[in-house]
Amino acid sequence: MSAKRIVVADDEPHIRHVLALKLEKGGFAVHPAADGQEALEICQQEPPDLVITDFQMPMMTGIELCRRLRANPATERLPVILLTARGFDLDEEQTREAQITAIMSKPFSPAEVLQKANEILADVAARRCE
Amino acid sequence: MFGSNRSTSVFIGLVGVLAAAGHAADRIGLLGDRSPAAIQLLLPLAMVSLSGLLLLGRIEGQRAMVITATHLRRLAGGGALAPAAAPESGVMRGVLGPLNAVLDRCRQEVQEMRNETGQHQIQSRVVAAERRRLEAILQAIPDAVLVINSYDELMLANPVARRLFRLPENGSARCPVDKVISDPRLLEQIHEIRSHSSRPRPRGVEYIARVDGQERTFQAAMQSFEDGGDEVSGVIILLADVTREKEIARMRTEFVSTVSHELRAPLAGIKAYVEMLLEGENNAKTQREFHQIIAGETDRLSRLIDNILNISRIEAGVIKVVKRPVDLTGIVKEVLEVISPQAKSRGLRIVERLAPVFAQVDGDRDMLSQVVTNLLSNAVKYTRDGGRVTISTAVDEARGVACLGVEDTGVGISPEDQKRVFEKFYRVRKDSQMAPGTGLGLSLVKHIVEDVHGGTISLASELGKGSTFSVELPLVR
Repeated sequence: MSAKRIVVADDEPHIRHVLALKLEKGGFAVHPAADGQEALEICQQEPPDLVITDFQMPMMTGIELCRRLRANPATERLPVILLTARGFDLDEEQTREAQITAIMSKPFSPAEVLQKANEILADVAARRCE
Repeated sequence: MFGSNRSTSVFIGLVGVLAAAGHAADRIGLLGDRSPAAIQLLLPLAMVSLSGLLLLGRIEGQRAMVITATHLRRLAGGGALAPAAAPESGVMRGVLGPLNAVLDRCRQEVQEMRNETGQHQIQSRVVAAERRRLEAILQAIPDAVLVINSYDELMLANPVARRLFRLPENGSARCPVDKVISDPRLLEQIHEIRSHSSRPRPRGVEYIARVDGQERTFQAAMQSFEDGGDEVSGVIILLADVTREKEIARMRTEFVSTVSHELRAPLAGIKAYVEMLLEGENNAKTQREFHQIIAGETDRLSRLIDNILNISRIEAGVIKVVKRPVDLTGIVKEVLEVISPQAKSRGLRIVERLAPVFAQVDGDRDMLSQVVTNLLSNAVKYTRDGGRVTISTAVDEARGVACLGVEDTGVGISPEDQKRVFEKFYRVRKDSQMAPGTGLGLSLVKHIVEDVHGGTISLASELGKGSTFSVELPLVR
């Protein structure tokens, strides 16, 4: 069975790098993207199993990326983890509307992000079996 | 002071009767027929007239009473009547004695009325002065002031309120309040205030209006007041323009939010890489890479904090500024010593066009050094390898300024971005990958040049061709 694919979108190269290292160690195949637009293009070409995205990025925010994914039947049910340095400033209605699967705040623990990714994918697999 | 037309006619009639009686008495005296019967006939007439006058008590009556009194005196034994009336004078005095007393009372009342009139004039002058003073106060208040009476009519509006509600400049007030105010929340608040008139207290409600085509926010404060002691009351409404305050509050919230985001970004990197090291990264090369990233992110965090603090201090006016005559060219030379090696390592050519004379400006050496550093390092950061950065200083004696120019052959800044590059935390998105930055460097430069030194900074740029930042600072006089 091939490794599950995760798209990691963040405009900070170090964050993309550290997440890729951690997730690859956890057995995932990682596709890095420098902004929302690039992440959307990767997702449209070949939908991954999970998207981990920063909230604030040039070109397209994480919320907008999620909204675009929901608008496309091929990616509408794709789980999304939103990483945010905005703390409590996030607009709850926006995140609900965009159907964000999980929100994790920056600074984050790479181990916790990996754990969350495993939980979500296990949950998706369980639902598929039902 | 004067009553209806009806009482005025009665009064004129009475004066006529009195005058006729006086003339009749004169005629009797001149003809020598001073019959007591004639006097008895005239007296009641005169008395009636007099009492009528007293009843009316009009100011105009004063003069009529004086005329009447003269006639009655002559009748009683004075003036032309006196010599001829001598034989009967005892009788006359006996009859006219009470009349004299009446006349004295009249005189007294006339005097009292005169005093009263004087007092009224003084009072009305005092009231007029008081009114002028209140109007001056109302005109000087920068807030809109409206006063509404117990019948929901507008009683008073100062010029600010007249402009805000588009009321005629000298139009009479007294128009229904709902014809002036259309905002339902404001009207509701007025009614609520009135229903709690026993406990007058100020209340706040926001009111949004368009003034000169711009939307402005007003904070309404209301206070009810007793309107003549009965249950119903009037309401005073004060509308203060809080548009600027609201904008400042919004900017402050945005600033805090942006600062927290900007601080968390490097912190996130530090935390993630430290955790990876703690989890036992064994590869020595990877370990070294992680350490370098952590060191770099720590420096970034430190620069960010310094810049935020410097900007905040300048904005709050609490920064310690040590101004003394400094040579701008000297500062540029010092900064070039630090930056030139970096630039040369990337194959950039630094061209120096420095003024041969001292460019003495009255400034803070450290701050001006920061200005030159930020402008030069930006030029180096956003110019591709092999490009050129030109730094120049000049003295314009005629205009009394020292000029600093930093020109590069870099990526350039679009017209849209040019408008915003001096804003706090603003970074040109397409270039943010070229080099790390806080988005505070140019904002700090602008603050130091303009707010601290009273100079100017301008930018000319073309996408793909390069940018030129020009600074002018006042020369030492």
